[in-house]
Amino acid sequence: MSVLLDWATRVAILGITGRFGTFSARDLRDYGTEVVAGVAPGRGGRTIEDVPVFERVEDAVKERGANAALIYVPAPNALDAVIEAIEGGCSLVAYPGDGLPVADAMEMRAVARANGANLVGPNSPGLISPGKAKLGFMPSFCYRPGALGLISRSGSLSYEAAHRLSNADLGQTTCIGIGGDPVKGLNAAEAIELLHRDPETEAIVYLGEIGGSDEYAVADYAQQGDAKPVAALLVGRTAPPGKKMGHAAAMIGSYADTWVSKVAALEKAGVQVARSFDRLTDVARNSLAIARRDYKAVALTHP
Amino acid sequence: MHYMLLPESQGKRLLATSRIPVPKSWKAATAQELSGFGLTFPVVVKADVASGGRGKAGGVRRCETMADAAAAFASIMQTRFGGEAPRGVLIEPWLAIAREIYLAVTVDGGAGGFAILYSPKGGMDVESGPPPARYAFGVPGNFRAHKFRRELEQLEPDAKLRERVIALARQLVRVASSQDCITVEINPLIVLADGALICGDAKVVRDDAAVYRNADIVAELDHAHVRDSEQQKRCRDARLTLVPLDGDIGLISSGAGMTMAVMDAIEAAGGHPACFLDCSGNPTPDGFSLAFDLLEQDTRVTAILVSVFGGGMQTDRVARTLIDILSKRSSHKPVVFRLNGTGGERATALLESAGHHNHQSLEAAVASTLEKARAT
Repeated sequence: MSVLLDWATRVAILGITGRFGTFSARDLRDYGTEVVAGVAPGRGGRTIEDVPVFERVEDAVKERGANAALIYVPAPNALDAVIEAIEGGCSLVAYPGDGLPVADAMEMRAVARANGANLVGPNSPGLISPGKAKLGFMPSFCYRPGALGLISRSGSLSYEAAHRLSNADLGQTTCIGIGGDPVKGLNAAEAIELLHRDPETEAIVYLGEIGGSDEYAVADYAQQGDAKPVAALLVGRTAPPGKKMGHAAAMIGSYADTWVSKVAALEKAGVQVARSFDRLTDVARNSLAIARRDYKAVALTHP
Repeated sequence: MHYMLLPESQGKRLLATSRIPVPKSWKAATAQELSGFGLTFPVVVKADVASGGRGKAGGVRRCETMADAAAAFASIMQTRFGGEAPRGVLIEPWLAIAREIYLAVTVDGGAGGFAILYSPKGGMDVESGPPPARYAFGVPGNFRAHKFRRELEQLEPDAKLRERVIALARQLVRVASSQDCITVEINPLIVLADGALICGDAKVVRDDAAVYRNADIVAELDHAHVRDSEQQKRCRDARLTLVPLDGDIGLISSGAGMTMAVMDAIEAAGGHPACFLDCSGNPTPDGFSLAFDLLEQDTRVTAILVSVFGGGMQTDRVARTLIDILSKRSSHKPVVFRLNGTGGERATALLESAGHHNHQSLEAAVASTLEKARAT
């Protein structure tokens, strides 16, 4: 098993006629993902990369059985496209785009929740269940199947982190890019809950950063009696206060936003925090060993 | 990207358009204007800036006479507040304050929307007091006065004041959601002798992502850009993300999270990055040339580290670009490469054939960069 994605996932790509949409259709299919439809208003009836293009999501669902949507449209059109995908019948939607007004993020998140759909994004590479399917533009070579659930606020960081884990024989069940914005479709608490319920996910790796409150939600989870072991890496230890570090949410405005405060909360909750990137595989391996009750294999990690 | 905090005068104007009570005010950009306002003293003269910490830096002054006001104007206009030159001063009547409270509406990621913050004690010292009460309700349509009232009942025994605060909070939520605001903070929210509320200050942060649907954000961005350094202007035009830092290691990277990870790795190894410079917005010869230009010209920079983990980006293409840039440069600053991921093997071969080493790990590249920086 995995979460959200599996072999039954049938993807519609909104914005498939754009350069990136076309590239992504090919990339998903190369990974073995079923791309069953494209949607582009005003361009229905043609085929792109052998994928039939429809005027609306509803038709892609009805005629091609699409159940997931990957959305590549400009930020001003994103809210409407996400709502159409959800109301058209896709229970899983990834919107990777960045530069989305936060008011629109609030609204798309609310619509997803009201309809019982899972929305991943904005400002995220999407999600991937290694060996099964992908719904996003992350580089496939970084991932391999395994027992870790991965959650990340940063795309670029998640690629290299997954690559390091994969090379250390620490494969993944599902990697969810929750994104770098303050208001998200799936937030850390919700993503972790999905991984918690997945029987194949034995331990969880969380990649976080300064700013926002997601790391405290991860700490809350780790404190639960039945929590799966959690390992984490946070970046931005050296970021100055009051500056957005590329991501809209990555800004230190108060002590709670800092690396120090977040690492303290996570460690207090029993999370294994890698103090530097090169310790990530150690803490991830430890978490798996703890999950497997192989306590002899747990190594001391500090500092 | 800008943290779009509006100057007080514009924040208050935004509130006034929704008929939220703000003091009568005058804006002056020159000393001559002061005498034309027909001021009744005392007044308060404030620096009209978007930077915080204004009060502590002498940017808020009580004035009893026109001579006082002229002196305050001259002094304020010569001061920089967080590096920002005031666009003028904002003059308001000195209010008879019965009490100062704190009220804010702000984006709350955990709630997937907005939260209201309330503290019965506002003013300069709000940060040193207990944290404000928080009513997180999510999307604007989810605001429930009766739920907020329940929160306030613990803190505010005066029912009349409580109802006024609730009504104002509802208006602030409306402004925040309709005007693409990240934060609308009123501190102090002044209670006048007759119990009426009026906004003593306004800290309004707009959402710069919403610039495409707000003409006034365009104007404000233009103003923010005027304050930018020449370096930041060039980066913005070229879609690179630059945050200048204090160190000496020039860092060129790709992706926000990875760039922070490299910064942290430099510090962990005992060095200090000179910048956060993310080229993922424009990984072309133009983008990388600009990045190199900036770091070559920056006299603080002793060594340059190019660290790119290629996901969607082809690192062999990046390698070709970098080799070309390096063949044309006159600088002797050491450059260390670490290009991995997509096209990594070809990148290594290309760099080696041009006489450059490509490190296979971030940690090795950082160590090598610091060693070279120390040798310069």
